[in-house]
Amino acid sequence: MVWTNLIEHLGGAPLHLANTEAATHAEGAHEAVHELPSLIKLITTFMDESPLKHFLLEWEGMIYAFVIAALLILVAHLAARNPRMIPGRLQNVVEMVVEGLSNFIVGVLGPEGRGFVPFLGTLFVYILAMNLSGVLPLGKSPTSSPNTTVALALCVFAYVHFIGLTRNGPVGYLKHLAGNPKSLVEWLFVPLMLPIHVIGEIARPVSLSLRLFGNVTGEDVLLFAFCSLGVTTLAAIGSPVGIPFQVPFILLAFMTSFIQALVFTLLSTIYILLWLPHEHAEEAHH
Amino acid sequence: MDTSSALSLALPIGLGLAAIGSGIGFQGAIGKAMEAIGRQPEASGKIQTAMIIGAGLIEALTIYAFVTVFLLMSKIQ
Repeated sequence: MVWTNLIEHLGGAPLHLANTEAATHAEGAHEAVHELPSLIKLITTFMDESPLKHFLLEWEGMIYAFVIAALLILVAHLAARNPRMIPGRLQNVVEMVVEGLSNFIVGVLGPEGRGFVPFLGTLFVYILAMNLSGVLPLGKSPTSSPNTTVALALCVFAYVHFIGLTRNGPVGYLKHLAGNPKSLVEWLFVPLMLPIHVIGEIARPVSLSLRLFGNVTGEDVLLFAFCSLGVTTLAAIGSPVGIPFQVPFILLAFMTSFIQALVFTLLSTIYILLWLPHEHAEEAHH
Repeated sequence: MDTSSALSLALPIGLGLAAIGSGIGFQGAIGKAMEAIGRQPEASGKIQTAMIIGAGLIEALTIYAFVTVFLLMSKIQ
């Protein structure tokens, strides 16, 4: 029973109906979504009320995001420190990842897409690492908070429009937003097409961020739900461990983590592709 | 019927309906992609890329419903 109380306290989920009131009062109603406890949450349960505790709880996702970024930088640094013709184990793995991402992005954007590989590849690796962090014990997905995903989507938005402005020029940029009018009829439709394109551009980061946030949160909540189910079924006989109901869903979580990182990167690639000028030159040629 | 019981009835039903819609969408998208790969295995890379983009867009519809459920869940007492 101690164990169920601990889990209840950490996750903030009411496992018994009688405790529902107490749990909601203790945790406050601000947290509607429950995930498995992270290391930071575990540490803060043993801390007294202090500004540090509030800071840790509030910046939980940010701390994980920075730690993951630092780890990725460290791995990349170690792999690229002294590159050799016959690569070592780490260099081999990192080269494989970079080459795979490069081939994938060049396959979508064409040969001139090689310049976008650093940004898009980093995006993929970073998002994948953040998604997988929620599957690890004592980990938390920073991407299960809309703050992180909106920030990522805004980065993509700014990058895509920067490319649109520099590659097309200011006039070409506005023309692209107006739907590349050529004939008189198309020019007449510009007042209609311009707002539609602008709304479409704004809707892109919204859908990018919501998709990632919803998927990762859903995956983490699913893991929590089955964990607590496994614990509560054995709680009646006082067992300290529960049935690991969540194992098949961990495999599912691995898959969604990968697919969501891929979809985010792929859609960013497509948004860049849509802003590159050569597409339309080809269309005009036909 | 008060707000909280109305929400606790409507949210799962709404999410389920959204999932049905996405399921129908996936049936068309992935079924056709598999057929296309079966017909032209050498083009499987391009087809897969396009299929994943489509799947991402279809799936987003359910995710919107899912996010709405999250937002409204705190209103259930």
